[in-house]
Amino acid sequence: MMRFFLSLLAACALWAMPAAAQQDSGPLRLEITEGVIEPMPFAVPDLVADTPRAQDFARRLARVIAADLSGTGLFREIPAQAHIGRITSFDSPVQFADWRAINAQALVTGAVRLDGAGRLVVRFRIHDVFAGQELGRGQQLVGEPDGWRRIAHKVADQVYSRITGEGGYFDSRVVFVEESGPKDRRAKRLAIMDYDGANLRYLTDASTIVLAPRFSPTGDRVLYTSYETGFPRIYLLDVADVGRRVLPTTDGTMSFAPRFSPDGRTVVYSLTQGGNTDLYTMDIASGRSTRLTSAPSIETAPSFSPDGSRIVFESDRSGSPQLYIMEARGGDAQRISFGQGRYGTPVWSPRGDLVAFTKQSKGRFHIGVMRTDGSEERLLTASFLDEGPTWAPNGRVIMFTRETRGERGEARLYTVDISGRNLRQVATGGGASDPSWGPLQE
Amino acid sequence: MPRVNTGQIISGAAHLAVIGWVFLGGVFRSDPPQVEVVEAVAVSSEEYAAIMARQSAPEAVADVDTPEPPAAGEAAPALSSGADAAPETRPPEARDTPPPDSVPEVPARPAPAPSEVTDSAPALSVPAEDTAALVPERSLRPQPRPAPRVAPEPVAPPEPDVRVDDVTRPEVAPDEGAEVAEEPQEATAPEEAATEIVTEAEETGAPAPAASVRPRARPARPEAAGTETAAAPEQPPVPDTDRDAVSDALAAALNDDGTPAPRRAAGPPLSAGEKDALRVAVQQCWNVGSLSSEALATTVVVAVEMAETGRPDIASIRLLRHTGGTASAAQQAFEAARRAIIRCGADGYDLPQEKYARWRDIEMTFNPENMRIK
Repeated sequence: MMRFFLSLLAACALWAMPAAAQQDSGPLRLEITEGVIEPMPFAVPDLVADTPRAQDFARRLARVIAADLSGTGLFREIPAQAHIGRITSFDSPVQFADWRAINAQALVTGAVRLDGAGRLVVRFRIHDVFAGQELGRGQQLVGEPDGWRRIAHKVADQVYSRITGEGGYFDSRVVFVEESGPKDRRAKRLAIMDYDGANLRYLTDASTIVLAPRFSPTGDRVLYTSYETGFPRIYLLDVADVGRRVLPTTDGTMSFAPRFSPDGRTVVYSLTQGGNTDLYTMDIASGRSTRLTSAPSIETAPSFSPDGSRIVFESDRSGSPQLYIMEARGGDAQRISFGQGRYGTPVWSPRGDLVAFTKQSKGRFHIGVMRTDGSEERLLTASFLDEGPTWAPNGRVIMFTRETRGERGEARLYTVDISGRNLRQVATGGGASDPSWGPLQE
Repeated sequence: MPRVNTGQIISGAAHLAVIGWVFLGGVFRSDPPQVEVVEAVAVSSEEYAAIMARQSAPEAVADVDTPEPPAAGEAAPALSSGADAAPETRPPEARDTPPPDSVPEVPARPAPAPSEVTDSAPALSVPAEDTAALVPERSLRPQPRPAPRVAPEPVAPPEPDVRVDDVTRPEVAPDEGAEVAEEPQEATAPEEAATEIVTEAEETGAPAPAASVRPRARPARPEAAGTETAAAPEQPPVPDTDRDAVSDALAAALNDDGTPAPRRAAGPPLSAGEKDALRVAVQQCWNVGSLSSEALATTVVVAVEMAETGRPDIASIRLLRHTGGTASAAQQAFEAARRAIIRCGADGYDLPQEKYARWRDIEMTFNPENMRIK
């Protein structure tokens, strides 16, 4: 009996031995589930240049690149005064120890020169300092000297995209309503600028009230609402030559809140006729309109999904303004907002996963986002008056209007990350409202 | 008639014996306490006050009998060491001292010359160090003690960097350019090693060396190839009969394909605390703030090899697998994980050296589920 027991014990030991040995000989396994969220330190030394004129561009290019990245809130520039290493040659190996010493995790190096045709030639590389290697391959951009800011934005877009994995948004423009004068006699005109406020240009004069400009998907046209005839009507403006034309609508009606379809060939808008406001689409080429809703309530602020199959809009059919989604050709709508308060101005994210909106609750206005089924609602801002969100081309940042209280209250443009961090005011110089963020430029 | 049990008889007898011992043995008798008689003496209030005044004399402690400054040529004075002796209850032995109320004077004690040491020791010994409380506060700096060594002739203190010897020798330095004879020393050389393993079958048929009769050494062991090795202790001679057996055993133990020798003992596994410390160290540098939403939805498993210093081998960091995202997102997530491992391991992770084999290879799973933007 004892021998049988010992034999059984030995058999069990032999059976368990390989597993134990394997466990001992395998690598140590750890699971990291908690990290930190903080801006990544980076350095952009002045680009290498060989002529005085190129050196001037080199310095300005580096500053714009650094400003773009720092403005995202995801990166933190290490100022040049703290740099230990110097980049004197674009092709020389980088002394990563010098940049590790100042805790720079990413390094952007570049060189600039003017070619025989007077064009600006910019080469750049992105380095992972601690890994001691280049991220991707070096790239070269060529452009006119006047467009040096666009070149800088494109470099920053590449850096941003390479490190974060998301598309950039720096080489983009914003069309908005520039406001001036006192509140009761405020002059409004359309303006266009780079996303960071540079290169401001006016598209209309201040002779009439203009509202709600909307960029086309290609960024070459703008839809907006004007009171030029006394009634609000929709206009289509060409950005390049500032030529415009009014979209055909029935006399005695009011049309407003236009927005392009993703293909740029259709406009969805609100039309008020006989005291009732409904949604319509219009084929821009033919001018033919199609009614989407037919309800006694007010339906307005429509926005296409990125694939053009659905429309999110605002309606008070339930008694208070709420958000609804329906098919692009009309039909039954599904309510997606169920929180306390009033919802309006929904905008579908370029990624298609979120809807940004304005919410009024308990006397305050908010900019928020929710999933397209209404779940995971998050309010990103809160103030006396926040409204009119618009998405950055990469769907990571939202720009909106914030107006301050009082007689001297003024509207300004702000941006905020969809995480609710990094709230920043956009440099517009004066009052600004109703922004529409255009696509990345070609 | 009932029978009487033997046990009952024994029990009864025992009880009777105990009762009798209690009463006759004096268990309950106690000796009366002895009364201590003390003689009482009647004392008047004046006498009592005088007694108390004598007992409470704190100033007496400070009034230290201090000898007069010794005259030149006398033996070194000595401080009284009667720290515990109350002035009134234990008068000092030196009766020719000044009155106790005299202000203590600072003794200007000259440094005793070693030549003045005689066989007649002074009457009072030098105070011990623990009598410092008795030294007046205005005392001069303590004088240096005389040299502990007694010699017929005084010797000046040597220079601090001069080696003490029986005789004095001037420093002798070699002139510039002079030839310096090298001291003989044993020849040393690192242990023989080869850059590759050469088996006997691969050896060429070279002729025997003409100038040496020593046989060629066996090729070095595989793990010693190309590396510095410490001088091995001399091995005792092994009988030829055992050498073959040992060689066979070594050959069997070594791999034929030349792979490195097995690692040293793994040691005990890492404790939960040690693992947590490593985990915390890495996650402090795992910055996901610059990751895309898609990368934040991607879990990556990263392998890294560690040096014995606790530093990660940067070249060894590689992505093993990922879940939940595209390849592009996985690449971003991997790069963030790699930065975390490198940055926080730049000075070496705090890991137990004796368990190096346990943490030489590490697989870290970076799961950003808790860090996502929701």
